[in-house]
Amino acid sequence: MKIFTLKNIGMLVLLIVAVFLPFVISDYWCYVLTVAFFYTIMAASWNLLGGYTGQFSLGHHTFAMIGAYTSTLLMSKAGAPFWVSIPAGILLTIFISCALGILCLRVHGIYLALITWAFAEVVRNYFRLHYAFTGGDRGIDSPLIFGTMKPTPYYYLFLGITVFAIVLIAIIMRSRIGYYLRSIRDDSIAARSMGVDIVRYKIFAFIAASGIAGMAGAFYGHSIGLISPVMGDFNEMAMIIIFVVIGGMRTQAGPVVGAISVRYTMEILREYYEIRIVILTAIVILIMRFFNGGLMELFRRVKKWIRRDGEGPASAYQEP
Amino acid sequence: MDDQGNQLLEVKNVVKMFGGLRANDNVSIQIEKGEIRGLIGPNGSGKTTLINLITGIYDVTEGSIYYYGKRIDGVKANVIASMGIMRTFQVARVFRDMTVLENMLIPAFTQGQSGSEAKTRAEELLDFALLTRLKDKQAKSLSGGQNMLLQIVRGFMHKDLKLYVMDEPFAGVHQSIKGIIIESIKMMNQEKGVTFLVVSHEMSTVRTLCNKITVLCKGERIAEGTMEEVANVPEVIDAYLGG
Repeated sequence: MKIFTLKNIGMLVLLIVAVFLPFVISDYWCYVLTVAFFYTIMAASWNLLGGYTGQFSLGHHTFAMIGAYTSTLLMSKAGAPFWVSIPAGILLTIFISCALGILCLRVHGIYLALITWAFAEVVRNYFRLHYAFTGGDRGIDSPLIFGTMKPTPYYYLFLGITVFAIVLIAIIMRSRIGYYLRSIRDDSIAARSMGVDIVRYKIFAFIAASGIAGMAGAFYGHSIGLISPVMGDFNEMAMIIIFVVIGGMRTQAGPVVGAISVRYTMEILREYYEIRIVILTAIVILIMRFFNGGLMELFRRVKKWIRRDGEGPASAYQEP
Repeated sequence: MDDQGNQLLEVKNVVKMFGGLRANDNVSIQIEKGEIRGLIGPNGSGKTTLINLITGIYDVTEGSIYYYGKRIDGVKANVIASMGIMRTFQVARVFRDMTVLENMLIPAFTQGQSGSEAKTRAEELLDFALLTRLKDKQAKSLSGGQNMLLQIVRGFMHKDLKLYVMDEPFAGVHQSIKGIIIESIKMMNQEKGVTFLVVSHEMSTVRTLCNKITVLCKGERIAEGTMEEVANVPEVIDAYLGG
C-alpha cells in the first residue's frame, strides 16, 4: 500500500495547517472551528450509518446528548472526575444504542427513521421535563475540562478527537466489516446469500456510530460549559444530514468538507440572520440539483475537467 | 457434515403459502452429490419460491429440507451460505456501488479466507470469466450479461462450495456469456465436485447440461427424470402446450 499518495500528502498538509491555525485566527473563529469539528464528528459518524450502511437514523444527535448529559450529571451530581464521567458517557451511549439496535434494526427505510426519531423525542423530552435532575429547558452547567473559556485548548482537543474519529471510521471501512456494511447497503438479500450476517453488522455500525457520537457529545458538553435539550432538537439532526449530503455521502472527506464549509458559511452570513437560512437552503437545492454527490462530486468533476479525462463509465467496458 | 450416503439435499413435502396462494404444494426432491439437476416449469410454477426456501430467504409453511441429513429449513440464509450453499438470482443481484473485485471478495471474507488468498482466487475466476479488465469498475457500470456472469463467478469464491442453486442463469445474456456460464458450471462440477440445481427456461441448454430434470407446475412436482423421460409425461406436455 502506497503511503505517499497525493491524497495522503494533501491530508497531512491540511492537518499541519489546522495545527497552526489558532496562531493566526481570532478566539472567535477558533471557537467556531471547535464547534465545526464537533459537527464534523457527528456528520462522519452518521455517514458510517446512513451513508455507508444505508440505515437512515434520525436519532443520531440524541446519542451526543446522552453522552453529554451522562458525563455532566456524573460530575455535577456524583462528583465523578473527567476520566470517569466521559468514558461512562460513552459506555452508556454504547449500551443504549446496542439495546435500540437489537430492538429496531430488523426494520429499515422509513420505519427505522420513524423509530429512531421517536426514540430521540422521548429522550429529549425526558431531559426537558425532569427539571430537578437535568435543569429542564434551561439546561445545566457543564464543568469545563480545561477550566478556562479560552477556546484554543478546546480547539486542539476537538481537532484530536476529529482525527481519531475519522481514522477509526476509515479503519472500519477498509476492514472486512466495511465490505459487509457496503454490501448490506447495496443489496441486503444478496449479502445474506453470500453469508453476511446482516443484523449483526447493522447493529455493529449502529453501535460504532452512536459510540462516536456519544464521545463527541461527552467532550462537547465540557467544552462549551452549558448543555440543554437543544442538543436533541430535530434541527440538529437535519443539520447533520445536510452536512453529509452537501459534503458528499459515502465519502470519507465529504462530512468533513460539508460540516466545516456549511458552518463557515453560516458564520459569515450571521449578520444577515433573517435570510441566511434562505441562502443556505438555496445552496442546498443548487448542490442537490446539479451535484447530488455533494461538494466531493463537484471536486471530482473539476479534477476530471482539468485532466481532460474523456473516459466515462459508458465507454469503460465492452461485452466479453 | 453427517454422511448421508450419496444424498446431498432432500426437500420433503414442502408447502409454501403466500396468504391464500399455495406457491409450493407438497414438493419433494432429492438431489445427489455431483449432480447437475435442472428445475423447469412454466411461469408461476414455484421454481424461484423453491430456491428461496432452500437458501433460507423464505421460511417453509409445512414440510422440511435436509442438507447432508441436517435439517436446514428455518436456518438463516447467511448460515445456509456458510454451510456451502450459494445461489444466484434471476435478475442479477450484485453490489452495484462496489467494484467487480470487491464483489468477489464478499463470500470469500464471510468464509474466513485471507485477503491475499481471496484476491488471488478472485483474479483467477475473473480471468476465466473474461472480466479481469473490469475488476476495478463499479458493478453498476457493467451490462446485464456481465452482471449475471459476475454474480455466478462470485458464488464460486466460496472455498467449501457444495451446492450451487442458480435461478435462470442464461436468461437474457449474450451467447458468448452463456458459453462461459456453461463452461464454468461444467468445470466446477467436474473438477471440484460441486452439485448444481439450475432453473432455466432454455430447454436445449438444460438438455445438454443436466443429468436429471424436475418439472414443477402450479406449485407441484409433476415429473422427474432425464429430459427424454419427462418430455413424454402427459402432464408436462399439458403444462407446456396448455392442452
